Amino acid sequence: MNRKLPDPLTRVPTDEEPTATCPHCERPFRSVHARDLHVGERHESDATGTESERYERALETERDDLWFFHAKAVVGLGVTYAASVILYMVVLGGFL
Amino acid sequence: MSERSDGNRTRGAGRRAARAAVRAGLRLGPWPLGVALVGTASAHAGSLGGATASATVPTWLTVLTGGIVVGATFLFTTLLTDHDAMRGVNWWRVVVPTPAGARRGAVRLTRVVSVALLALVLVTGLVGPTTSTQNFALLFVWAGWWAGYTMTTYLVGNTWPALDPWRAIAGGLRWVAVALLGVGTSRRGDERSADGGVVTGDRFRLSSATIPERWGVWPAVVGLLALVYLEVVSPIGTNSRALAFVVAAYSVVTVAGALVYGRAWFDRVDPVSRVFATYGRVAPVQRDENGFSLRLPGTAATEAILPDRPGETEFVVALLWVTTYDGLVSTPLWSRLLTPIAQAGVPAVLVYVFVLLAGFGVFLGVYRLASRYIRERADTYVTVDEIERWLAPALVPIAAGYHVAHFLGYFLTLAPALGAVAVAPFGPPNTVVLVLPDWFGTVKLACVLLGHVVAVWVAHSLAFELFPGVLAAIRSQVPSVVVMVFYTMVSLWVITQPYVAPPFV
Repeated sequence: MNRKLPDPLTRVPTDEEPTATCPHCERPFRSVHARDLHVGERHESDATGTESERYERALETERDDLWFFHAKAVVGLGVTYAASVILYMVVLGGFL
Repeated sequence: MSERSDGNRTRGAGRRAARAAVRAGLRLGPWPLGVALVGTASAHAGSLGGATASATVPTWLTVLTGGIVVGATFLFTTLLTDHDAMRGVNWWRVVVPTPAGARRGAVRLTRVVSVALLALVLVTGLVGPTTSTQNFALLFVWAGWWAGYTMTTYLVGNTWPALDPWRAIAGGLRWVAVALLGVGTSRRGDERSADGGVVTGDRFRLSSATIPERWGVWPAVVGLLALVYLEVVSPIGTNSRALAFVVAAYSVVTVAGALVYGRAWFDRVDPVSRVFATYGRVAPVQRDENGFSLRLPGTAATEAILPDRPGETEFVVALLWVTTYDGLVSTPLWSRLLTPIAQAGVPAVLVYVFVLLAGFGVFLGVYRLASRYIRERADTYVTVDEIERWLAPALVPIAAGYHVAHFLGYFLTLAPALGAVAVAPFGPPNTVVLVLPDWFGTVKLACVLLGHVVAVWVAHSLAFELFPGVLAAIRSQVPSVVVMVFYTMVSLWVITQPYVAPPFV
């Protein structure tokens, strides 16, 4: 993958042991899920077979969660739109 | 909405312009785009007053709608999660071929022109007419340069390094000192610059003095706050003699600084250069290793993280804050709040400086707090400082949008006067001002909103680069979007307020 931006600086608090670390670039992560995604995104060409599988599984989890999140976003957009229209109707109609 | 004169900078100038127009006699006539040249003060103010304000949509609803649009934009961008497609948009570019010879020739020409213009500003400032709308220095500096030229730095590209008259003077002085007087032993060193790979030397520096690294770009932050303070509390907006004096002082300091510290002066101290460089981050024309390239507006900011130096983030926050401050001190609310304080015997200039610094502190504090929440929500070990630095470029389109809203009308209003005076700076004719049509107020609001919409996209793109996966990147944006919604509403409120000259200064 074409990478243009540098890796961000990370700092692990002294009383904490990182849950997962990237085997390729040593970057620490708070969850195995994030590490798996990172390895797949940033080290695609160097990833081992297991790592690629883990990446696929992490993507699958993301897809499920994302579907739910998007459902909420679409409902949010619809409600916002409807509320705005009603608000304008009320204000421009002189009820307020 | 508003009877707001669009810029605060030459606050008296608009009104004087209107009076001058009356003296000039009425010149009614059609103008392209429905803009008319009118010559009465009341028409001028009344027309500006038309702004957004359809009589039926109250200000609070306009302001609320702005907040809703920004929030909805965020919800909409969460649906765009294909990272490769986002990069396809953000990395799209067309390389514009620029022969090196043509570029060098153009730069030499612009240097001569810019130094001549600086000289003309100083001379007309000192001996030119004192009427604001007939004085070349006042019109050129505030309407032409600070309003008009600044807009080109984010709408087109940052051309300041080529146009900067002080760079030209410093370079010329150094050449004279080295070639003719034999001062300084270092030749013009050829080295690769960190940003573009262009072979250049430090063509300004005569000494080996350096600015301490730990200061970072803080000198520029202090310089920016000081410049805006000076502009708000001093008469340089309407008094050409005072303006000429400030420009002369600025010239001496800048040229001396460049000769002592070299390029670092323009990179880390000179607030003017930094403002234009910062605005240039969102411009469609960018300079990189391949020469010039054309980008989609705002996308360049998704690729260039701020350098890891103290004060980089703070400068961007300061840029956003000073634009807001400038608008805030010319609202009726400010006058109402300041009057009792000033009457109680507190010197107004101290209140102005206190609010300038306190507001900057609040903006920094809110930005830092949002970055903390971002860190928590993204569940990451990336440091807060790093998050602040990564996401700061997303603030630039907001500042740019607010700047257009603030200055476009002001620039257009005074542009005919500037044109007329530029033709005959020493014997200026009577000038007229443009009166903008009613729908122009809506354009201003649209500019503020557009800035925020671009900012949401830039923040979205940067979050995807910063955090792995999709959900962490999306969730992390919620705190910054909440801040943006509030900031949009505050800036829209300021824009819709009638203009009142900052009192007691």
